[in-house]
Amino acid sequence: MSAAAPVLEAESLRVAYGGNQALDLPRLALGAGELVGVVGANGAGKSTLVNALLGWSRGRPRVSGRVRLDGEDISALPTHERVRRGLLLVPEGGAVFARLTVTENLAASADRATGRAYTEDEVFALFPRLRERLHHTGGQLSGGERQMLAIARALRLGPRALVLDEPSIGLAPRLVVSVLETVRRLVDERGLSVLLVEQNVRAAIEVVDRLVLIERGRVLAEGPVAAMRDDPRIIQAYLGEGAA
Amino acid sequence: MNLLQQIVNGVILGHAYALIAIGWTVLLGVARLVNFGHGQMYMLGAFVTWWAFARLGLPYPAAILVAIGGGIAVGLAVQAVMMRLTLEQNLVSIMIITLGFGHVLRGAAALVFGAQPQVLETPPSLIDLEIAGAWVTAQDLLIVAVAIVVFALLRLVVEGGRVGRTARMVAEDPKLAELAGIDVRRVYLGVFAFEGAAVALAAALVAPRTPILTAIGFEEVIVTFVVVVLGGIGSVTGSYLAGLGLGLFNALFGGFVSPAYTTAASFAVLTAVLVLRPGGLATRGGGR
Repeated sequence: MSAAAPVLEAESLRVAYGGNQALDLPRLALGAGELVGVVGANGAGKSTLVNALLGWSRGRPRVSGRVRLDGEDISALPTHERVRRGLLLVPEGGAVFARLTVTENLAASADRATGRAYTEDEVFALFPRLRERLHHTGGQLSGGERQMLAIARALRLGPRALVLDEPSIGLAPRLVVSVLETVRRLVDERGLSVLLVEQNVRAAIEVVDRLVLIERGRVLAEGPVAAMRDDPRIIQAYLGEGAA
Repeated sequence: MNLLQQIVNGVILGHAYALIAIGWTVLLGVARLVNFGHGQMYMLGAFVTWWAFARLGLPYPAAILVAIGGGIAVGLAVQAVMMRLTLEQNLVSIMIITLGFGHVLRGAAALVFGAQPQVLETPPSLIDLEIAGAWVTAQDLLIVAVAIVVFALLRLVVEGGRVGRTARMVAEDPKLAELAGIDVRRVYLGVFAFEGAAVALAAALVAPRTPILTAIGFEEVIVTFVVVVLGGIGSVTGSYLAGLGLGLFNALFGGFVSPAYTTAASFAVLTAVLVLRPGGLATRGGGR
């Protein structure tokens, strides 16, 4: 899938908080039109990884290594510049601006939209629920609606590569399936490249092309999802004995 | 004591207060920061206006523009120095730095402009007008008119359009705003530049009412603090109404009770309002 030059590539990516090494990743690549799942237990370093890709953090980590987007080294760029080049992160919890209405949240993305941006109609076709909530503030939305709005905001900006951090967290099982199926549609129908960070491995495994298993900040295993389904470490830790 | 005259005085004073406070309102609303050098920036704006008008001989409108330019430069310089602290929202260090910055400004102003009090006699301050038995100057009317225009424009900007949306996003969550492609550093610089420009404009308009000394500024900080907190931190409309209310209260209290206790009385009102309405008079925040 990713034999051609990857859309997003990380090399020798290391993140440390104080003296603690939180991530040590030799290489990670995301091809065009590929959906890669990054899975692992709580505290494995999944969010640390995606935050490092964006150069974004609410803490003060020490980050080293290279991040390339479409071959361009973006490691030294601040977060907003990486975003403007099309590397978009939807952080954990469906982060939206709680005091802005749905309309304003989407307009804020449209203010900085690139040529790749999805139109308002395209976004509403994906998430029809949002059209019914236009005048509600982000804070008034349910968890699922917030997640939809967060993804919609990213699409309105115009992603080259989309990074989703735990989109299923806090959602009802039915909504988890719906959100992940929508992500799969974005990949299949629009050729979007998506890095999906998930703790819900059972759900993720149904939609991704490749799986990367992280533990204690290191890649434990990775490969096409068909092969990874049979990996005993995945089966034991996430799918249960009877899954294979 | 003429009640009408006191009410008119209060309305003028209230618009002056609101105009002095508007920069801080935006600063608190967007950057969640305070600037205790605000009063000294007001003092500097007054002196620069006086210097450009009385010494350089520029027309009054041009002197105002010079003061605004100076205010922007000072605002940008302060924020550039404090950028890291601002991004980390290190409020204690910022408070200390801005307090120190105010003292540096006062010392610098004393060196440059001297210790003598100056009077800014602008053309409109020399025109007396009688309105329904109350006396005002054209300068007073200018203060009211400019304050209304500035607040109306600011409300328009904050409530609609890209600039207002950007400011409200940064006010709510600067880290999340970065993920929306916003250059938060630039927004913070812009906010401080606005504060510098707004307080310089206020000084250029309000300073002709009193002698200009390097010691002025403390009362302006107190007034600003009361207006911003009463108005509901970050609320543009709230600040305007709070400024107007405080001006009327001070004029009536000063006229009918005692001018010596107006500041103490203002704080008593502030305390009472905060006990009854902890969010200030305006309950909606976010820079509106």
